[in-house]
Amino acid sequence: MTNTAGHDLPYQNMAKITIDNREIECRDGVPVLQAALEAGWDVPHYCYHPGLSVVASCRLCLMEMQLPHPKTGEMGWAPKLFPSCQTPVKDGMVVRFDSPPVEQNQKACMEYFLLNHPLDCPVCDQAGECYLQDYSYKFGEATSRMHDQKQVNPKKDIGPKTLLYSDRCVMCSRCVRFADEVAGTGELCIVNRGGRAEIDVFPGIPLDNPMQGNVVDICPVGALLDKEFLFDQRVWFLKSGDSICAGCSTGCAIRVDQNDDKVHRLKPRFNPGVNDWWMCDEGRFGWKYIHDPKRVTHPKLRRGAETETPAWESVDEIVTYRFEQQAAKHGGEKLAVLLSPMMACEEAWLLAKFFRAVAPEATIATGFVPTVEEDQFFPVGSDAENAKFVIRREKCPNRRGIELVVEHFGGNTCDFETFVTRAGEGTFEAVWAVGGYPDAWVPKPLATAMAKIELLVVQDIFENELTAEAELLLPACAWVERDGSFVNHAGLIQPFERAIGVPEGAKRDGQYLFAAAGFEGLYSGERVRELMAEEMDAFREIAEAPKKPAHQH
Amino acid sequence: MAWNTIDRNEPVVDADASPVLSEAVCEKIKTFFPKYPTKRAVLLPALHIIQHEQGHVSWQAMIEVAELLEIKPSDVFDTISFYTHFWTKPQGEKVVTVCRSISCELLGGREVLAACKEHLGIGEHQTTPDGKYSLAVEECLAGCDHAPCLIINERMHKRVKPEQVPALLADAGNADHGLPRSDLFDPPVATNGSDEDVIDATSDVAEMKDSN
Repeated sequence: MTNTAGHDLPYQNMAKITIDNREIECRDGVPVLQAALEAGWDVPHYCYHPGLSVVASCRLCLMEMQLPHPKTGEMGWAPKLFPSCQTPVKDGMVVRFDSPPVEQNQKACMEYFLLNHPLDCPVCDQAGECYLQDYSYKFGEATSRMHDQKQVNPKKDIGPKTLLYSDRCVMCSRCVRFADEVAGTGELCIVNRGGRAEIDVFPGIPLDNPMQGNVVDICPVGALLDKEFLFDQRVWFLKSGDSICAGCSTGCAIRVDQNDDKVHRLKPRFNPGVNDWWMCDEGRFGWKYIHDPKRVTHPKLRRGAETETPAWESVDEIVTYRFEQQAAKHGGEKLAVLLSPMMACEEAWLLAKFFRAVAPEATIATGFVPTVEEDQFFPVGSDAENAKFVIRREKCPNRRGIELVVEHFGGNTCDFETFVTRAGEGTFEAVWAVGGYPDAWVPKPLATAMAKIELLVVQDIFENELTAEAELLLPACAWVERDGSFVNHAGLIQPFERAIGVPEGAKRDGQYLFAAAGFEGLYSGERVRELMAEEMDAFREIAEAPKKPAHQH
Repeated sequence: MAWNTIDRNEPVVDADASPVLSEAVCEKIKTFFPKYPTKRAVLLPALHIIQHEQGHVSWQAMIEVAELLEIKPSDVFDTISFYTHFWTKPQGEKVVTVCRSISCELLGGREVLAACKEHLGIGEHQTTPDGKYSLAVEECLAGCDHAPCLIINERMHKRVKPEQVPALLADAGNADHGLPRSDLFDPPVATNGSDEDVIDATSDVAEMKDSN
């Protein structure tokens, strides 16, 4: 099946068409190919991509269609084949893909695509997820009749992140259209059009835009390859988890491909209205920090000058005891928790719940929101109105989610700036601060203020000025090691699943927060969402949504 | 990369170099803007103008014309690589283009090409050391009814026999079109019908039979 099957965009008009003697209902006006794919047909195609313009150049999706006879007006099979990608659905149309002319065309096309193909699957990264392999097997012939020497096009280094193996290319031109229509940077072109055609860039103007990783995804064969994934892993060893990108507040649906708890690559998942088929390079290549050896992996408890690693079983007791002690000593209003927008909603809810259980007057603050100058709109030159893809200025996945949680708990709440100011005024004596950012984030006034207070618990992924002051340091896990949900910039709640295990010594944030909040057993995002739905309307729909079957690992 | 890869990250154009397109060329290109719905559509006339002025279209000229027409340099590269009559490298004073497609091949085009190579002492797509001649091959010169044929600059020579090649190349007027060069895409210039180098619009089968 293709990545586009089974999505449900709101279309007003539906049409009934007959494919291979079976009547299906589909959206009116979409290409017949799209309707067939969505209805479960496996129609071979290379050049067609639902996110790009239609060129009908690969000729692999040709179909037979019934047309009225020019003289008698009687409906009958037209003597020629039609490209199903370029023929829009019209109510009552009758087409077929299972006829000998269609199959003959598919065979001929496949033979043509393989004429000059090097058949170097054993050393090709695409092997295993290659449409040349799949279609050859399903629609092609086992042999080629060509006995002349193959035309061998060169390998080209077309950009800092991408390699082009022109010899494997089937000239579908998806990449060229992507660069023109979605990225809007137009670096790619087709040169020497004709029998020797190849994809190229203008020498010295390489493929280098913030969206360029997508050309590797949409390449149906092994022609465009990701340099970072090159010879990294055979794709059949990869297991995936369906996740949400944590790079910015767009909340792109992604697939985390891993093997042995090591992430090898991220790929976008189709997510209509959010990221459609795409993701940016920032997200795609921005996961490297999760395998950084400098990560905090063990809890650290400081007693005077000594540091020790407490047993995970005792952590919830320690935090409960210490914060209760502080609440009793200074009063509940001296307690505060800083909820990071890198946390999942569930984790934030659990932590907030813990705090309000210890002291109902405790302050719940929204954490630091990393931002850059402005949103980046694609195609380059478009704006918020007509952009096909946006890289948001907010470099965290869950500000809206944290705000939802903070708002839900109400009472003493504040935003990050206010928190820093009030901390500087000495308002708090016992604070649990959550970080989890890949980059340095601690503002100096915060570190200074936190150095003075009696109890500081820090939950972070890297050591920094704040962790140095912590009495108890808890490892925060990267989002691919956790499960929960993020709320994107538009308020859409999107659950994500765990893709890899946590580093040795660490524990999922959700698990220790689950225990601290007084729950027993294993944490799961789904379970907590059900609990949240009981008190938060926003989560009711997502908690009641049909459960996805557990991911096959 | 350790294996054989063409590096496309290396610039082929010096970013600090002064423009190669003169003011006059740019102005001439701009006169075509009103004739077309988009600036992009002016690319072909623009390339003709540049090649006519400079003898070829350099990488830098491609970048400059892209800027002028508000398109990407890759678009220019795409177009120019399709048309074999646009040259991206400097050519000799006279470019001899020999057809190697089927009609010419059947009627002795191969021998004509061999004679050109022998006489000029160069191979296909090469230029003589003195810079006088370049030799190119094309798939079809659209003169099948006068095969075998070759073009020197813009003048078509029809029914060329291998033994005529030395004389043809030695002839000083071999590149004279016989007509004023058409200002691009202007109404066709009327021919007087007597100039036999001007190819008629229709194929003359009887003439072809006579000549063979």
